[in-house]
Amino acid sequence: MFSKSIIKELTHIVGKDNIRIDKEDLICYSYDATNQKFLPDAVVFPQNASEISLILRMANNEGFSVVPRGAGSGFSGGSLPVEGGVVVSLERMNKILRIDTDNLIAEVEPGVVTGEFQWAVEDLGLFYPPDPSSLKFCTIGGNVAECAGGPRAVKYGVTKDYVLGLEIVLPTGEIINTGAQTLKGVVGYDLTRLMVGSEGTLGIVTKIILKLLPLPEATKTMLAVFSDMRDAAAAVSRIISSKIIPSTLEFMDKNSISCVDDYVSMGLPADVEALLLIEVDGVKELVENQAETIKKICLDNRAKEVRIAGDKKEVKKLWQIRRAISPALAKLKPNKINEDIVVPRSKIPDAIIGVREIAKKYNLTNANFGHAGDGNIHVNIMIDKSDKAESERAEKAVKEIFELILGLGGTISGEHGIGISKMPYIGMELSQSAIDAMKKIKQVLDPKGVLNPGKIFPRS
Amino acid sequence: MRTLKQFTDEINKCVLCGTCRSVCPTFGVVNREPASARGKVALCGAFLNKEIGLSDGFIKQMNECVQCMACRTACPNDVNVPDIILAARAKIAKEKGLPFAKSFILKNILDSERLMPTAMKFASKLQGLLFKGVPEESGLHRRFSLPLIDERRLVPPLADRFFLEEQRARGKGEIASALPRNDITPNPELRTLNSKPRVGFFAGCLINYMLPNIGEASLKVLEKAGASVIIPYDQHCCGMPALGMGDVETAKSLVIKNLEAFEQYDMDYITTACATCGDGLKRRFKELLSDEGEDVRKRVERFAGKVRDITELLVNELRIQNSEFNRKSKIVNSKSEIVTYHDPCHLRRGQGIADVPREIIEISGAKLKEMSHPCRCCGLGGTFNITNYDFSMAINRDKAEDIKNTGADIVATACPGCIIQMKDGLHQLGADTKVVHVVELLASHLTSPLRGED
Ligand SMILES: Cc1cc2nc3c(=O)[nH]c(=O)nc-3n(C[C@H](O)[C@H](O)[C@H](O)COP(=O)(O)OP(=O)(O)OC[C@H]3O[C@@H](n4cnc5c(N)ncnc54)[C@H](O)[C@@H]3O)c2cc1C
Ligand code: SF4
Ligand code: SF4
Repeated sequence: MFSKSIIKELTHIVGKDNIRIDKEDLICYSYDATNQKFLPDAVVFPQNASEISLILRMANNEGFSVVPRGAGSGFSGGSLPVEGGVVVSLERMNKILRIDTDNLIAEVEPGVVTGEFQWAVEDLGLFYPPDPSSLKFCTIGGNVAECAGGPRAVKYGVTKDYVLGLEIVLPTGEIINTGAQTLKGVVGYDLTRLMVGSEGTLGIVTKIILKLLPLPEATKTMLAVFSDMRDAAAAVSRIISSKIIPSTLEFMDKNSISCVDDYVSMGLPADVEALLLIEVDGVKELVENQAETIKKICLDNRAKEVRIAGDKKEVKKLWQIRRAISPALAKLKPNKINEDIVVPRSKIPDAIIGVREIAKKYNLTNANFGHAGDGNIHVNIMIDKSDKAESERAEKAVKEIFELILGLGGTISGEHGIGISKMPYIGMELSQSAIDAMKKIKQVLDPKGVLNPGKIFPRS
Repeated sequence: MRTLKQFTDEINKCVLCGTCRSVCPTFGVVNREPASARGKVALCGAFLNKEIGLSDGFIKQMNECVQCMACRTACPNDVNVPDIILAARAKIAKEKGLPFAKSFILKNILDSERLMPTAMKFASKLQGLLFKGVPEESGLHRRFSLPLIDERRLVPPLADRFFLEEQRARGKGEIASALPRNDITPNPELRTLNSKPRVGFFAGCLINYMLPNIGEASLKVLEKAGASVIIPYDQHCCGMPALGMGDVETAKSLVIKNLEAFEQYDMDYITTACATCGDGLKRRFKELLSDEGEDVRKRVERFAGKVRDITELLVNELRIQNSEFNRKSKIVNSKSEIVTYHDPCHLRRGQGIADVPREIIEISGAKLKEMSHPCRCCGLGGTFNITNYDFSMAINRDKAEDIKNTGADIVATACPGCIIQMKDGLHQLGADTKVVHVVELLASHLTSPLRGED
């Protein structure tokens, strides 16, 4: 509980309408998509960097913690106030400040919803590729903090590839600008890259300069159905080796598909082991050719059916299947342990077969889907938390899965971040010296540890 | 009806993913989590876990929902957020009572005798009081607070004669085959002599009091489509406003009264031109009465099975799209105006009807031009707009702009509530787009013109 004087001062900074301390409001800022809850002491809705700066200075003086929050759609608990304190909600800093069609850049506030930004630039014939499945509700600030990526990463890269510069409030309250408004810029250390993916622990992002591309002229979307996962994997390798880089190459396994009601209603084959959702974009004629080539490759690799979307409605339907999976898995079991591991593309079948064996060994329900194009697979272990024994088995399985993935030359998180969910495992991938180097950076920027404490690094 | 506690499993189905933030219109205006569907579910969960009580904050959030069902459609886990919220409202109403304004409306207007005499009493009481010095602008008159209407709202004038009253004045008994006027057959003869499909007409408050033209147009089109129309005068408010406020008992008693009114007649279908009434009659009241005796449940089931929205009745059952109707009714539309269509929440998401109203627009000879977000809620939200008029109009702003941007001459829809809301919103935006029900559009192009129209 905060003292009256702290509340008073916070109110003074953000204004009466932009602070909440009632239990009902605190509850609504206590969770994110990890489905875990930690109550903050207050929620504030600042309007600009100066207000955030004052809040952080105050936090350093008074010794309370500050947790930035976008839409609360994070999968690793980054926005959870695990030690209480103030949640700084960026929901109201949601303006697109400018879209510069001459220089192909845009400047936005962090609370802008990713999808809304994409539609705004597309209206002008421009393109902002990073497309996390949560794009309709997550914020660009959250994307920057997690370095979010999506299906298009295989061709276009992830959030970090589009961030040119940032305005950041440092944990000690200084407001700095990083990067430049130009495509090139090497003045000093690359603090932009350091901040992108720092999970809200090194600074609060208050403005973002983004790189844009011209909108591809045409896209073609298709769905290929396989009755053997190895066939699907072989098709993926053949597509890439035939020098086509699809803008999307998504993979879904049997258990994932079984959760999506729309799938059945689309009249697709019921007995299926794997689906590939593939999209190509570019110049119209090229796209048509590539789509045909891919279709042929899939059929050559024993696809049972390949369906090319004829119009926008069908494209939407095909994507709906993919986007619905993640939350719909709850139909299998109420709780989900969700790992977004990455392996080299060619190792995907080994990874999935290995994961399934581990799940079987521990008698667990498992569903896998994700970005086959870049080897980023969402491995889900579905459990019922109230079943203690099952939860314990799951914990062991997760550890074994990580060992398997690292053994295949992979990494334990491709896009969701460490937060609190993967904290116990960070030492499996990073050496102690690497962790120490990171902790030193945190220590220098945030000596009192006020910004988003209790994340990424386990307490030693 | 299930209690909030009985929704525990439904609430636990929510994994707090946040998908519903992208569609929830109240969140769209406020931009803060408690106003979102996810926030509301979380609060209901916290209430059941006794982390909070029936506090003002809780009540406020439960009230701030327009029951548009967009969250439910978007939710990958099919969490029934709107019904969870209704159950919370029922709990609030039970423990705390209804706020004065709402209980006044319910007790005095919606839950008394029948629609017609009540309305007359009500109107005569308020007529002199509230109709004085009202500026009249472009057909919209600021009148008085009707059941679902904020008093600042610009509304169509109260009908000179309420729909049901007018129908009774034209006919003799309680059964009126509306057109032609003298073809009024008493009950038993109708049964034996008439082989046409018998359609009971459920008017609903808004059509009865304020937009009788929609009722007239419905009767005209039904007649041309070969139906015999039966209008039980004993009908009441459908009960949706009461249910929306959490007044479960009033809602139940209204449903029972309507059952009684309609069960007297032999009908093949019961139709309504109000999407909200239809959603209630077809679907929600079954859930509402699910804890009653088997007899009542069966009656509601039977009743609900006959209910069709007027648009689906016309296209799916009476098949007006076939050439015979076209030939008989000689649709003339030399203007071929551009029409855009707004999907009422209670039609599209509540009843899954999206194509047939569009088909009717095309049958009428008009050109359909879609707006960018036809399924976005207009913001009326039943009783929501009584207590939250400004909020409700803030939701409407996007809708009005979307309509204006199409450049259409007319926006058609299939719900009188949406019509009132969109008229108000477009008026505030200074747009002169006409707002009509699709059956009005169709009726206006039939060869014999409607009463009062040219
Ligand atoms: C259904 C679903 C699908 C998803 N799919 C994907 C996917 O395909 N790819 C992917 O990468 N992720 C995905 N995610 C995860 C999540 O959406 C992303 O991590 C997203 O970037 C989080 O954005 P947010 O606005 O919700 O941030 P929050 O969850 O609110 O916060 C995330 C982190 O960012 C920090 N933060 C937020 N705003 C700021 C700021 N302005 N300055 C500094 N730090 C800040 C927070 O402190 C926290 O550590 C998915 C989530 C869901 C629920
Ligand atoms: S979309 Fe469904 S599961 Fe996700 S937060 Fe909303 S109600 Fe909960
Ligand atoms: S019914 Fe509509 S207003 Fe109510 S919570 Fe769901 S989306 Fe929001």
